Formats: sequence, structure tokens, C-alpha cells
Amino acid sequence: MKREKLKKIEGLRRLREKLAKQRAAKKSWVIISSGTCGRARGSSKVVQAFKDVVKKHNLEEKVNLRITGCHGFCQAEPNVIISPEEIFYQRLKPEDAKEIVMETVLKRRVIPRLLYVDPQSGERITYKKDIPFYKKQHRLLLENNLMVNPKSIDDYLAIGGYKALSKVLEKMSSEEVIEEIKKSGLRGRGGAGFPTGKKWEACRRAKGDVKYIICNADEGDPGAYMDRSLLEGNPHTILEGIIIGAYVIGASEGFIYVRGEYPLAVENVTIAINQAKEYGLLGKDILGSGFNFEIKINRGAGAFVCGEETALMASIEGKKGEPSQRPPFPAQKGLWGRPTNINNVETWANVPLIISKGADWYSRIGNDKSKGTKIFSLVGKINNTGLVEVPIGITLREVIYEIGGGIPDNRKFKAVQTGGPSGGCIPRELLNLPVDYETLTKAGSIMGSGGMIVMDEDTCIVDIAKYFLNFLREESCGKCLSCREGIQRMYEIVTDISEGKGKEGDIELLEELANVVKDTSMCGLGQTGANPVLSTIRYFRDEYEAHIKYKRCPAAVCKGIISSPCQHTCPIETEVPVYVALIAKGRFEEALDVIRKDNPLPGVSSRVCHHPCEEKCPAKEVGKPISIRGLKRFAVDYGLRGRIKKAIPLKQTKNQKIAIIGSGPAGLAASYSLVQKGYPVTIFEALSVVGGMLTVGIPAYRLPKEILNTDLQVIKDAGVRIQTNASLGKDITIDGLFNQGYKAIFIAVGAHKSLKLSIPGENSEGVLDSLEFLKAVNLGRAVNLGRRVGVIGGGNAAVDAARSAWRMRNCEKVSIIYRRTEMEMPAFKEDVESAIEEGVEIQFLTTPTRILTQNGKLIGIECIRTKLGEVDESGRRRPIPIKGSEFTIDLDTLILAIGEQPDLSFLNNNQGLEVSSSNRIMVDPETFATNRKGVFAGGDVVTGPNTVIEAISAGKTAAISIDKYLRGESLKRRYSVTRPSVYVEPVELTEEEVAETKYPSMPRLSPKERANNFKEVELGFSEELAVKEARRCLRCDLERKEEKE
Amino acid sequence: MITLTINGLDVKVEEGTTVLEAARFWGIEIPTLCYHEGLTPYGACRLCVVEIGRGENTKLVSSCTYPAEEGLVVRTHSKRVVNARKMLVELMLARAPGSKTIQDLASSMGVTKVRFKVRNDDCILCGLCVRMCEEQMGAKAIGFVNRGYKREVTTPFRLKSDVCRTCGACMYICPACQMRCQGPEPPTTVCGGCLNLSPPCLEIYEDKMCYLEPCVACLKKEAEEKTESKKQQNKTHNENNY
Repeated sequence: MKREKLKKIEGLRRLREKLAKQRAAKKSWVIISSGTCGRARGSSKVVQAFKDVVKKHNLEEKVNLRITGCHGFCQAEPNVIISPEEIFYQRLKPEDAKEIVMETVLKRRVIPRLLYVDPQSGERITYKKDIPFYKKQHRLLLENNLMVNPKSIDDYLAIGGYKALSKVLEKMSSEEVIEEIKKSGLRGRGGAGFPTGKKWEACRRAKGDVKYIICNADEGDPGAYMDRSLLEGNPHTILEGIIIGAYVIGASEGFIYVRGEYPLAVENVTIAINQAKEYGLLGKDILGSGFNFEIKINRGAGAFVCGEETALMASIEGKKGEPSQRPPFPAQKGLWGRPTNINNVETWANVPLIISKGADWYSRIGNDKSKGTKIFSLVGKINNTGLVEVPIGITLREVIYEIGGGIPDNRKFKAVQTGGPSGGCIPRELLNLPVDYETLTKAGSIMGSGGMIVMDEDTCIVDIAKYFLNFLREESCGKCLSCREGIQRMYEIVTDISEGKGKEGDIELLEELANVVKDTSMCGLGQTGANPVLSTIRYFRDEYEAHIKYKRCPAAVCKGIISSPCQHTCPIETEVPVYVALIAKGRFEEALDVIRKDNPLPGVSSRVCHHPCEEKCPAKEVGKPISIRGLKRFAVDYGLRGRIKKAIPLKQTKNQKIAIIGSGPAGLAASYSLVQKGYPVTIFEALSVVGGMLTVGIPAYRLPKEILNTDLQVIKDAGVRIQTNASLGKDITIDGLFNQGYKAIFIAVGAHKSLKLSIPGENSEGVLDSLEFLKAVNLGRAVNLGRRVGVIGGGNAAVDAARSAWRMRNCEKVSIIYRRTEMEMPAFKEDVESAIEEGVEIQFLTTPTRILTQNGKLIGIECIRTKLGEVDESGRRRPIPIKGSEFTIDLDTLILAIGEQPDLSFLNNNQGLEVSSSNRIMVDPETFATNRKGVFAGGDVVTGPNTVIEAISAGKTAAISIDKYLRGESLKRRYSVTRPSVYVEPVELTEEEVAETKYPSMPRLSPKERANNFKEVELGFSEELAVKEARRCLRCDLERKEEKE
Repeated sequence: MITLTINGLDVKVEEGTTVLEAARFWGIEIPTLCYHEGLTPYGACRLCVVEIGRGENTKLVSSCTYPAEEGLVVRTHSKRVVNARKMLVELMLARAPGSKTIQDLASSMGVTKVRFKVRNDDCILCGLCVRMCEEQMGAKAIGFVNRGYKREVTTPFRLKSDVCRTCGACMYICPACQMRCQGPEPPTTVCGGCLNLSPPCLEIYEDKMCYLEPCVACLKKEAEEKTESKKQQNKTHNENNY
């Protein structure tokens, strides 16, 4: 179609009206997103499919297709919106086109299969306006991406395009425009936030007959792409903004400096410029106003630093893209020494909006310091990835949780990096921070161009700092010594830290260096380049310290420290990759030896360990984590089936007697380690049975007694003496033990006191506490249990109690009452699933208010429903009672399982030991030494209720401390990076195995088979399954093989 | 003529002068490395940074490229400046420990150790040779290639240059080519040989300026008295707290 050059503003108005009328005649549109990200997910094929369908069925008259730029919701690409009601279909395939046309477009019927599903509620959402991602946004700029085909200037004119330009040319003087922009409060969207009006004014006032105007579209931040989206989706808005700007400052030539990596943006802008020229909106004597203006496109070669204005100008001039010192500012001496005005894409896009709708309207959006909206690209560990346009001043929480939909897989939010590599990490505590220029700068970050990279708990902060430093050291132009050398040196130091080679003083050196780099660098890149380091140190100093001092990477990411995530995460650093590799090779006995080497209670661990190793297993990224506990169990069972080598009593080489109080996992682990070192060790156990919580707390269907006994036998055979019915405080005392000649004492009495709910009626008949109940069941004592049993709590004790109750003969119904949802439940996931499988009812989001009694006997419980509110200190969302939702549950027995505490009543005046307010013995967390000489403590009595493997770890570490103490050495611990002791060659997988996606699952008893008995539920892998599972291991440990010590 | 304040002293200079030229004209020494009178100021080594502005709102800029402005307040030896320069010299030293110029700078600033891994590159990319070749020799035989930590000085495409006349001007002007006195010592040595050669002087002037080179000891005395009285004050203050 040939476009006629418009010579008058009037002509443009008439054309606009004509186009608007044509457009209004078409009521319904099929709006197909086809930006770069959409195309990457196959939107071109979808577009073609729609075109084919329309052509095949001759529907050109009835179906109006509009192929647009990006709709912002990357997660849902390719997507289609059916106007006018805006039905939103997502993640389309070419095959869906026909159905959409036939059903929705022609018959107005919704296709549920293609609708968006809210990940939180699971509901299907029909209309775009109801989708949480769009609901909270304020889409001034991005919404127009839906309205126009970017390749058609007529589309833009039909929705009122170039109206602002007409207004400026017709009615406004340059001063008035500048005044209007100033009044609107628009600030540079490129990151620095300089008031746009002021910038224009300076350039307008600068002396010079030739002036230039530049649109900065060199968007180089990793994870930021809002400029691309605007250029691709609505190029005419930007052109209109630039033309207005040029008119105001008196420029005759303009440049769009766009990244060479944005081919679609370049294509669309080129088309837009040509179309604007055809209409006479660019070129000589624009709309008869006598104003001449041309725009040229410059494609950047991909240097991040060319986003800096002075470097950008150098690049346009054909020089090396290097910044130069300001002043002189570009407004005085810019491109080729002439006054130049540079603004970012998003800033330009805002200009027509302000002119046509007015500064007053615009300045009502935003907060007191910054006006208008800002587009952020929300990426990283977030449910709804995409471009988000929000009023400036909105809180980070709203952006991340309400629009972004929170973190996938319900993992914990850790930090958000705003402003790309030169920005900073903002931690969870500052989630309520309003997003504006000043606040972010104060928090140690920057607004930047608007990248928001969300990180969860699996992200290591040191690794993040390293990543950004690596980006910056490559992208620094290298002119300033401070930026080039400074960032390189920071990178070296952080790399050392991440490899476990960090030294004391490194953090301070980093801070000192970072501040100098910030202070002395010439351009914005260097001045902000230190932000990732400074902000991560500011908010996550402990994580740096963990890397440097303790050689730990809490997120299990830094390869140089962790070797493999499983081994590193294990509290006793069991060499998981080694034994898994040995199982894969069929060398089962050796595998068992490897397990035994670090773990004194392999049988117990193979049944009840909560396997933190599996949580961090990288195999989960492509399917399921390796069933590490299942494999351990296989090795242990293999040992049981064969002849277990009876442990020979270890030779006693030392004569300092050691007393261990408590025979739980901590006590057993400590005693075994000390016997191995040659000490005579005696365990004093208050109960008549050995094993502590393992025996009385964990039901037999999870940990069979014979497995526990096998482990105990090994420890006994090694030479540990055990004295039962010896209760501390009653039968023995600390002083008494010292008097008897014991040289060191390890207290590991556990946490055996149930907490109370403190609601009325708690002491009625029929109310039990979980520990009391489990103990009775485990010791085979008779328990008087009613038909309907309620359990209050969400921890392991609650689930164990419920499942044990369910196994009792006279019990008919068991309900767990928990105040949060399954996601927040602290009990092990598998156990919760098993409980549900068995028929235990779980009342989530319910909290008890009153225990109902009759004649002092329990008859039921009154509860209230809750909903989840804000995230509290524990990182979980706080339950809030819903008024008027009270209801009652009839019960015969109620078991309270809301938590346990150590019972320290035995300590008369604490026997000189320091005790915390929550009844825990205070120890040095590194050495487990108490304030009393020769007395050590560990396990639940120190930490409160904790896992078995943590207790074993505490016992082992305390044993090392006790040994050092008895040898008169300093207790100070030395830390080293995790490494396996041997490297086992990996197995070679066949191609079928690599392609295999079905994984072995643990065979289990059916719920029917579990009724009324305490048989072990999990049956263990067969040899074939175990080998198959072990062969799946990705062998992370091999990555750092060269550093074997 | 414009008036600006350097270290508390009001000075008048011609318009178009840089801060560095203004300071030197009035006898105030600012250390430089990549600056040369005969070449365009480049601002790469950052050694000549000075603190400008008043109150809270001050910043560091390279004086060789910053134009003297009416009413500008400059401090050439504030604490912030001196600390920054020391770090910069330490960074240079870690890259080119064999250079006499850099070792001398380190000595004069009291930098006695390097906390970074020493990497003997014998070049700190100050760009003097590149500018010399282009501006004075008119050859443009060498230039910078790459960016970031990969940046280096070389000929185009690393080929033997056709335009190079092997005049040696690049070597003449190079601050890294002249070897330090202790040649045979290991490359990581920080020599510090000249450390005690200059007379004791104020390290930091803040708003004060002495006009003499070498310095005026009276200021040092005054400063000592000041710190002494401050200490005294703190002491009494602390005592009052008890």
C-alpha cells in the first residue's frame, strides 16, 4: 500500500479518524503474541497455523488476526488473547489454532484445556484481567503491545498514535513541552533517574547550531529485556517520543543505538522509520511545521559498557566504546562535540503519553519522589517469569509474591538482585521496601534498567557475586585501572573464597577494594560494579564467613568446597558418591564399609534419616533425586543377609574413663567414636531400654527393632559398657561421676518433655502427650485409646502418633489438626504422604481453641479455620484465624504433639551448667564444650528436637573434642573442604539408560497390609533395582577430581 | 579567570585549565602516572583523583580530565583520596612490580605490602605509549585491543606493524619499562627503598595546604597537638560517661 505524504496536521487527523473508524468496525480480534521470546517457543508456527486455518475455511471476513509483540507473560508463551472479552489462552501449539478459531472465535465458547492455571489455587482462569500476573500491574506502556501490529503504522495511528506530536507541533512551544515533562516528574528509566525535563532544558539551552538526539537501546543486562519488548512491540511510540524530543531541543538528526543481538527489534524499528517517512512524520518539513528530522539506526556490537552514554557516543562516532570523563556533559559537548540528548527507550516511550494525557494525570501515578510506571523483567527462581509494569513505589513483596506468584516448589525466597550486574542483592528482610530510585540506592542496590533476578535458598550468594564479577570483569572497558584491576582482583578473591581457599581478612579486603573501585572509577560501570560485592557482604556476611572459616557452602553450590552436594550436606559427611558408585558396580560389601566408616548407626540411618542429601541432589532437576537413603538401606540389608562380621572388641589403649549420659543417637555415636580411640566408655541410660528416642520415640513400622538392635550390638561388641536405669540426678550426679574417676562427661539426654498447648481442658482424661503415647506403644504397654483419635501438631511426633494410633485395633478414625498447609508441615514429606495413604485425615489450616469435656472427660475439640498471612521469622506464612469459622470435632482421645523440650529437672541448680531459657544446655557450638570443665553436651538437649543424623554428628564431633581435651590439646576445630577419600571410576551408561525416564521406586506394603500391625512399611530395593538406581547418579564428585588430597 | 578552592586556598586560573594543571600551577603536587604534559589527558590510572564538593556531597574525580570550574572546592589530599591512591598503587604494584616508577610511587605513599596475587605483566595499560605513538609520532602503530581484564596494548591484528618506525618513543615514555633498583630480587618484592628518603610530612592535608616541597613540619606539629587534644577530649568524655 502506498502511503501519501501528509503535508498538514489536519491531514494526519483525518487519516487517524478514518483508520480508527475502520478499526472500530471489527469487533473481535485474535491477538497473537509473536515477540522474540514467543518465537523462541514456537509462536511463528502458531501464527502460521492461524493464517492457514483462516485461509482454508475462507474466514477472512469473520476472523481478524493481529500479530503483535510480546504480551509480557513469558511463562505463558506463545499465547493468544481473544478480544473484546480478552480470553487468555496460553502455551499454544499450532494444532490448537483450528479449535480456537472454530470454538472460541466463531461460537464464543471457551476451551478450558488452554486456559491459564493458577499454580497456587489450581483454578483455571478465563480472562486476562483475572490472572494474578496481570491483575496488579499498571500497564501504561506494555498494554499497547496488544493493541498494535508493530509492523503497521496504521494500527498505531488508529489507536491515537502521533496525537502527541500533532499537539506539540500545533499548540505547544518547546518551553511548554519541557515544562510539562518537568511537571510530570518523569525521570530517566535507564537507571540513573535524572529528571528528563531538566536534561532536555540543558540541551535546549546549549549553544550550537547542530544538535543530536539519541535513543539508548543498548540493553545489555543479563535478564533484562523491557527495551527490546517495547522496540519490538510498539516502535512508533518510541519514534514519536524521539521526534517530540528532537523538536524541543532543536535537533535535526537522531540515532537509535540498539543491540545487534536484537534482530527483530531492528527489523521492526526500521519498518517503523520507513513508514513514518512515507507519511512525512520524519524527514523534511514534518507535517508542514518546517521542522526537519531524521533518525538513523546504529547497531551495537554487544559491549555492555556501550550502554554508558559517553561510551555509546564514542561507539557511534566509530571509536572504541570507551567512556570519557564528564563534564563536559553530552548536553554541552556530546556526539562529535555537539550538544546531544540521550534518553533510554522506556523514557522515550513515556513522552507521548505525558503529552497527550497531561502531566497532572501522569504525576498521580507513583510515589512522592518518582512518578509514573516502571517495567521490570522478573526472572530467576520465580513462578511467573515476565515483564511487569508497575507504579514506581510498589513494594518488592507485591512484585515478587502477588504478581510474580512466589518461588517455585515452595522453596524459600533468599534475595532479589535489582538493576542487573551493577545492582545489589536485596534480602528477605527488606521485602517491604518500596521500589524507587532513592530507596534502592540506600539499600545498596540500584534501579538500573529494571532487571529483577529472584534467588531462592538453593542459590549461593558467594557464587552469585562471583557470577556478576565475572560478567563485569569481561565487560569493563578496561580504561580505568580501578575498574579493570579492581573488579578482576575482587573476582580473584571471591573465586578463592568459593573454592575454599578464603583467608581471614578477605571480606575486609573485599570491602576496602570495592569502596575504592566505587569511588575512583570514571563511569557508571565501575562506580556501580562494586555493588554486587558490597550488598552481598552487607546482607549475607555470614554466608561469606561460612565459606571462609567453616569451608561450608550452605546452598551446596560452590564446587570447590562441596565436591558433591550430597556429601557436603550430610551432617557427618558420609561419602555418598563413593558408596553409590560401588553399588552401581555391584561391590555391595565395600559400599557398606564406606557407610560404616562415617556412620556408627547405619541401620538406623538407612530407615529414618531425613536425607537432606536428596534435597540437594542435582538429579532432581531432570526428574527425581537419587534415592540415597534407599541405596543405603539396600547396602545395610545386604550386610544383614550375609554374615555380618562380628566386631572384635576394640583394644583399650587409654585409661581415662569417660561417662556418656543418655543412649540416644548422640550418646551412641560419641561412645563408639571414643571406644575406637581406645578410651574406656560407659553409657548411663535412665530408662530400662537402650536407644533413647530411637527405641521409645520412633514406631517399629519405620524402624524395626531388629535393625536397631543390630546397630546397638555392633557398638556393644566394640566394648562400650551400658548401664541402664541410671538416671542423672537420681542415681548419678556429675560431681559423683567425677569423683568415681571419670575424666570427661558427655551429656546427651535428649528432649523428652512434651510442650503444652495452654488451652483450657488440657489435663482432662483422654488427653495424652505424644511422647508418652509413643513410648507406651513402643515398649508394648497397654494404651487406652478411644475410637476417634485427634492429634494436634504438624511435626514428626504428630505423624508418628497418628500413624501408630491408626494401627491400634480399636481405633476407627484418626485426624491430625494442623494450623498451616501441607507445604509448611515440618514432618517428613514421605511420612505425611504415607499417613494420608493409610487414611489418616489431616485438617489443614485449623487451630484448636478449646478442649470440650464432660465430667472431666474429653468429648471433643473446638477448632477455628485459619488462612495464611505474611511470612514470619521462621520463613513460613503465619496462620491467621478466620473469625466465625469455629467448628467442633468429636473425639475420644486427643494426642498433643506440638513440640518437645529437654527435661532438665534432674539438674539440681543445673549442677553448674549454663542453661538457656528454652531449657537447653548451652555449649560452644563448635566444640560442644559446656561452661564446666570436662563436661560436654550434644544432641537434642542442646538443639531442641532435631534429627537423628544431626545427633549422630553432634556425638561424633563431641568425641573429637573430648579426645582433644583428655590429651590436653586445644579444642579449636580445623575445617576443610569436603572431598571423598577415594575416587571410584564412574560406570558407563548405555544410551537406553540415559534416555530412561522411569525411575525405580521404593516397594512398600499396601495400606491394607499395614492395618493393625507394626510391620515395616518400606520393603527396600531389590538388587536389580538398587543397581539401576545407583547407576543414575550424576557423580558430581568427579568434577573436582584433580584436587584429591 | 575563574576562582576555585584547592585545599582551603582560593586560587585563580585561566578558563579551560584542568584541576591538575591548576593545582600544579599553584605548586600543589598531585601524583600522576598516565598524565603527560605533551599528551591528551586520558584519566586511566586514576592516581590523580581529588575530592571535589562540599559537605556530604563530595566525590572523587580524576583531576587530569576535570575542568576547573568557578567555585569548585577541591581537596587533593583528603583521607578518602589518600586511601584510594594507596589502594590504586597496590593494584598497580600487583600487576607490574618490576617498574621503578610504580615502586617509587609505592614508597612515597607508604605502601609496603601487596595483598593481591602478584602477576608480573610489566604493563599497567596507562596508555601513554598509545597516545605518544598517535599524537606525537603520528604513527598510530599501536592501540588497545579487547576489553576488561583481557585488554592489552598491541599492533592491529598482532602483526608486525608497517607504520611503526621503531622510534622507541613508546619505550621512552613507558612507566613500566624502567626497572626498579633491586633487579635480581624476586618479582614480588616491594622494595620500599625510598620509603624514608622524604622528610616527615603530613600525609593528609584535608583543607590545609603547605606551599613548600618538602613540607612544613609546623603543620604536622599542629595536627599532632590537635589529635592530642582530641584524645584528651575523648578521654574526659569517656570518663564523664562513667
